[in-house]
Amino acid sequence: MTRLVVLDSEAVQALADPAHRKHRQVVSHVQVVASRKRRAAAIEVVVPTAVRVEAGWDRTSPIWAFPNHLRISDIPLDAAYASTAAAIRSRTGVSVADAHLGAVIQSVPTDQITVVTSDPGDMRLVAGDKNITVAAI
Amino acid sequence: MGRCTTATWYSLSMEASVVIERISGLLDGGGLETSNTSMRIPTALRDAAALAVRELGVAPSATALTTAALRATLEAIVMQTVLDDHYEHHPRARPDLGDLAVAAAELDGHPLAAEPGRLRQAAAEIARNHPDASPDDVLLWAEARALPAA
Repeated sequence: MTRLVVLDSEAVQALADPAHRKHRQVVSHVQVVASRKRRAAAIEVVVPTAVRVEAGWDRTSPIWAFPNHLRISDIPLDAAYASTAAAIRSRTGVSVADAHLGAVIQSVPTDQITVVTSDPGDMRLVAGDKNITVAAI
Repeated sequence: MGRCTTATWYSLSMEASVVIERISGLLDGGGLETSNTSMRIPTALRDAAALAVRELGVAPSATALTTAALRATLEAIVMQTVLDDHYEHHPRARPDLGDLAVAAAELDGHPLAAEPGRLRQAAAEIARNHPDASPDDVLLWAEARALPAA
């Protein structure tokens, strides 16, 4: 079963900016993923597209070249995710980005989910009944 | 997934950056188009893959198993090339063994993630004699150190 590593908005910003005080910490997570992939572990880093919007991650901009090349997949806010995210947002009052992140957590078919986040409380809130691992930054 | 194709980034030679861009594009392309190849692999490896698929159900087919492994390896190569280039330009961004052990514990939800100091100490100890130790080696060592003496 694939482990999904989901980035929140601050994790994205920290990854992209070498001057960010949490940059090395998030790079460490990505480095561990790269090393495990090399050993054929089933592990992927993903970002919900609403998180990307909140973080300002424009894949067409050269300033995002570093994260662009780290094999971090988008999870689009499609119709099904939008409905789940809307319900999460109504229930919890979190941001649109966090609601999308919650929809991803609740909808993906794996139980091995790690969220790299600066807000563990909100992540547990949006995860609902789904068991997640939180890597706090 | 859309990717930046306009930037010439960091210090990778033009050829290398173009190659990384191209590999990434091909990996993203995916699709259902397939090709027969004349790739030769060791017979024992082929038989082992077939056995793993048939008896252990590790993948729908030996081809799927091979494809997944190849994709993971190529993705790891791309990621590591980009990370190494980043470290060259931003040496302070390069994680040490302690950082990686903490990150590995956090990703796995390992109980020792709550004790980063212990993990960093274990990393320092293990790196003295085993400079090529992995973060998982550190976790194992720290876990063993945490066990009460018999």
